[in-house]
Amino acid sequence: MNTKSTPSNTEERQSRFELRTLLETSRMLIESQEPDFVLNNLLLITMGKLLVPKGMILINKDSDYFYLVSKIKGRSSLSEDDTIQLNFPEAALEHAVLQGTDHPEITKKLGLPDESILFNLRTTNHHLGFLCLGPKGTGKSLTDSELEFIESLTIISSVAIANSRMFQELRLINRKLDRKVHDLHTLLELSKDFNLMVDQEEIARTFKFAMLGQMLIRTFFFVLDIEDEKSIVASSGLKEKPSNKELNTLFELEDVFYCEEKHDCPFLEKNDIRLVIALYFQNEKIGVVGVGSPANNESYGKEQVDFLQSLGNLALLTIQKTLLLEEQVEKKRMEEELNLAKTIQQGLFPSPIPKIKGFDLKATNISSRQVGGDYFDILETQDGGSILAIADVTGKGVPASLLMANLQSMLHALAPIGITLAEATRSINNIIYENTPPDKFITFFWGKISADGKKFDYVNAGHNNPLLFREGIKKPIELDKGGVILGAIPSITPYDSASIEFQPGDVLVLYTDGVTEAMNPQKTEEYEEERLIACLENNLEKPSQDIMDAVIEDITDFSDGVQYDDITLMVLKVN
Amino acid sequence: MKNFSIATRQKNNVTILDISGELDAHTASQLENALKSLIDDESYSIIVNCSSLDYIASAGLGVFMAYIEDVRSLGGDIKLTNMNDRVYNVFDLLGFPTLYDILEDEKEALTSFEN
Repeated sequence: MNTKSTPSNTEERQSRFELRTLLETSRMLIESQEPDFVLNNLLLITMGKLLVPKGMILINKDSDYFYLVSKIKGRSSLSEDDTIQLNFPEAALEHAVLQGTDHPEITKKLGLPDESILFNLRTTNHHLGFLCLGPKGTGKSLTDSELEFIESLTIISSVAIANSRMFQELRLINRKLDRKVHDLHTLLELSKDFNLMVDQEEIARTFKFAMLGQMLIRTFFFVLDIEDEKSIVASSGLKEKPSNKELNTLFELEDVFYCEEKHDCPFLEKNDIRLVIALYFQNEKIGVVGVGSPANNESYGKEQVDFLQSLGNLALLTIQKTLLLEEQVEKKRMEEELNLAKTIQQGLFPSPIPKIKGFDLKATNISSRQVGGDYFDILETQDGGSILAIADVTGKGVPASLLMANLQSMLHALAPIGITLAEATRSINNIIYENTPPDKFITFFWGKISADGKKFDYVNAGHNNPLLFREGIKKPIELDKGGVILGAIPSITPYDSASIEFQPGDVLVLYTDGVTEAMNPQKTEEYEEERLIACLENNLEKPSQDIMDAVIEDITDFSDGVQYDDITLMVLKVN
Repeated sequence: MKNFSIATRQKNNVTILDISGELDAHTASQLENALKSLIDDESYSIIVNCSSLDYIASAGLGVFMAYIEDVRSLGGDIKLTNMNDRVYNVFDLLGFPTLYDILEDEKEALTSFEN
């Protein structure tokens, strides 16, 4: 075994050692994805290998002359993370190795002796920084092979740093992508969730929570403008609610408004709102969403604005959908109610119209779409007489038809007992007055044809005066005796009644205001009593049915078939 | 009905909510009500054990956002524990770990409440 080392032998061993170090180091550096680890090892290996007590790594800060002290070993006035400005001549950056003696100002600034050496950390395209090594502790200068060794290490390290930087950048991009995918997933999921919701509040609340979770925010508000009524439909973390004036101001802001811009809405400041976004439905601004700062203090970029707008519009669309749905349901309900009212009303009319001996009696009711409160009835009394009644209840629809039904049952209860019409009217008025709200009245007329058919007693409680046409008298007689309408005031003074002796050929016409108040198509003129009388006078010779038909036809002509109120007509002709 | 449930336990002065199933837009209000009633009962030290939580959507995360500051301002905290990787990933993606104490297990959270 050769124990004696020759110079060539030592050199060979040395170079083999260097090669192994280089190999191991390069593997370690290249496998690492942390630039920090790479830099620290580069510095330690070179310092240890060459016995240099002072060294540092500078990283270029992307702006031309500024460097970050990334790693520093040995005594120095500088410390890690300091930033210094080093004015290297442009040409110097082309070299792999810079001698400190050529750049005394720079070594001075770094607190290193002039004999220091700066190794350029660079890739083909980029200058990354410098590995700065002070002189050897032994005072000897670096040999060529040592320089070569370090140069090789810096090349490997530079590649490793560039790689790990790229790796980190990729990781960041990947994360951004993940985030984007998550955003899309959230949108998709919510659009499905929203589809199942019909409650406006639930939608607004879900929107709120999705915003808070997705944007990592605490403060949030969502204002909607529904039928010119602006109000907050969901909010979180608000210290103060906006005034009406502030609500209006919110709708006047830019569509994407960053609150650091000038504005005139203290509400935004008080609640630390950072971003306000407008939401549109069919080109109409009907929603505004505001968000506070995210808990991670990041600022709002285009991606966040996009997400906010997408989610906001989704929520808005869903809320609009529920409103339309509600409208539809309401319409359907109204329709059903009207049908019910009509059924009640039609059930109250006598059918068929009873015949009264010695008279030609016809009656009809044409109810309007909304169902007014018209009512008529024909009853027999115990003494063989007949009662004709006509009434108009205030209001429309089901409430009116129920009151009508009340009136009907009272008439039917009172007709058989032997009290006078005036007394019965007084009782009915008191009952209605006591049992209905003050805004419910009934105009009412009723009269009794005596058993022998010669006499007609009547009471008129505020109803349109029935008209009696008699041969030889020019104007019809108006049956106006009675008293106030039913249900307005309690019966203090008794109702008047009056009596008429029938003559052959007499024509008595009872009607409701739906007849005289029928409107012309221009809605400028009513049909009025005058037209009614004229029409009746032209048809008095005809049978009751024809007289009635003539009036209905005349009204239909006048109003062009448009009807706003119930029309009720009763024609009694004395044979 | 979606499969989501909350069970409440008490350990020392800490209330533990075991949430399981899917926490999404439809079930978020259940968690909201649970947190609200804890605040009403002045139980401000809250651990949410997520060991049986299979899925969480943004609306679920939003509920935590909405109440964390209230609870902290009252001297308490909401700590989250025992998340599976998929659930943790969502929390992480949205930046929750910077805001919330998200811990490996319940014991750890209980200890941190003691200190």
